[in-house]
Amino acid sequence: MTETIRLAIELAAKDLRVELRSRTALLSAVIFAAIVLVIFNFARDPASVSPRTLAPSVLWVTFTFAAMLTFNRGFMLEKENAAIDGLLLSPMPRAALFLGKYLANLGFVFTVEAVTLPLFVLFFNVGLGGALPALLLVTVLATAGFVAVGTVFSAMAVRTRFADLMLPVLLLPFMVPPIMGAVQVTTRLLAGRPLSEQLGWIRFLGVFDLAFLTLCAMLFPAIFDE
Amino acid sequence: MGTEPANGGYMVAAYVIVTVVVFGYAFSLWRRARRVLKD
Amino acid sequence: MIPNSATAAATIRRGQVITAVGLVGLVIVIVLAQMFTPVEARQGLAQKIFYVHAPSAWAGLMAFSMVGITGGLYLWLRDPRLDLFAEASAEVGLAFGTIVLTTGPIWGKPIWGTWWTWDARLTLTLFLFFLFVGYMALRGAINDPSERARFSAVVGILGLLLVPFVHLSVYMFRTLHPMPVLLKPSAPSMDPRMLRTLLISIGVFTVLYIGLVTTRYGLGLMQEAKGVADGD
Repeated sequence: MTETIRLAIELAAKDLRVELRSRTALLSAVIFAAIVLVIFNFARDPASVSPRTLAPSVLWVTFTFAAMLTFNRGFMLEKENAAIDGLLLSPMPRAALFLGKYLANLGFVFTVEAVTLPLFVLFFNVGLGGALPALLLVTVLATAGFVAVGTVFSAMAVRTRFADLMLPVLLLPFMVPPIMGAVQVTTRLLAGRPLSEQLGWIRFLGVFDLAFLTLCAMLFPAIFDE
Repeated sequence: MGTEPANGGYMVAAYVIVTVVVFGYAFSLWRRARRVLKD
Repeated sequence: MIPNSATAAATIRRGQVITAVGLVGLVIVIVLAQMFTPVEARQGLAQKIFYVHAPSAWAGLMAFSMVGITGGLYLWLRDPRLDLFAEASAEVGLAFGTIVLTTGPIWGKPIWGTWWTWDARLTLTLFLFFLFVGYMALRGAINDPSERARFSAVVGILGLLLVPFVHLSVYMFRTLHPMPVLLKPSAPSMDPRMLRTLLISIGVFTVLYIGLVTTRYGLGLMQEAKGVADGD
């Protein structure tokens, strides 16, 4: 078990190191997020719609699409290098392979979110107040969920035709429950409501994460076996 | 009877759709079956 | 494990018989709903859409569940016929899903005042529809049959797990955002004749699902059988 975790962390670290050197996916995701935020700001009529109303949805739409940009990256690189065969031939337990990919993807998406959030606060002039820790919690919970499914689907999508189209088509239905919960909680947090009032949604996100992480880890090997 | 809203048109449209889709799909399967069972 | 054309043909014929029964049943349901079921006083004739809309949603959910279940069984047993059944169920589910998503708004407009309501049934069916489409798109994009079967199974199983979460999230959302209603639909005291029609309709749609999926499955089996025979 600990061996699996150690292997997973090694794999994730390798992925992160590779991406840090080229930075292409991270950069494109961050730039995308910035553009979305700017456009949303100019698209609305400030007299009719307050930023407070739009802000949570904009934030999460941005997180979502920027995250999807990062997903295919990990598997694309290895496909090009045919490194996947190398990994498969190794005695590495499949659970480590999933966990490694998952942690790496999580790292990327968290990074994008960490850059997007300050931009969001800046452009939308939203006072976070004391809501930051709670906001971070809900972000982590929601992200952990859809990244699990994204890891599985990007592994599949990269082996099909139209990989770039296949991932969003497959992934979007799975993103809606966690994003819905995240937006609901974010809205209330930004309005000053305490986290203790949102425990229903928090529990929902937690259960979603647990259920899908487990199932995704179990199903991941089926993508690769010969 | 006379106090009901006059929305029968919606009902007709819905029932037509159901009939068309169900019979249409069943028919398309039947045609595929005919082609395949003939050999 | 490779199907032969005799079993395939038998399956097709069996499916056709069941479908025929279902089609007759559908006609009976339509007659029942039109002529032998009372009109709801406040909602008018449009309320009768319910007798075909709800059973279609039920059939679609059944179809979807079978896609997930046979997918799971495939990953366990690796019998390619399970994958063929899943494919058949997805196609049939798409048909029922189309019915729900078209009759839903047609029912919603006169009863709720809007074309779309984010109620549990419609929202769930919309999701299932997207999942069905994604499932078919995925299958279309993979050439290797084993890979196609495995990947489809993964999507099917994950999709099945998604269903309760969609349901729950819609429920949680709705308790916070109650729907504005033009007329309150499905009053708690349902005339027994309405209940009878609804139950019969559910039965008929179940038979239709079984008949259509069996026929479509048989067609898939036949294609496999012929492919093996000709391809040598």
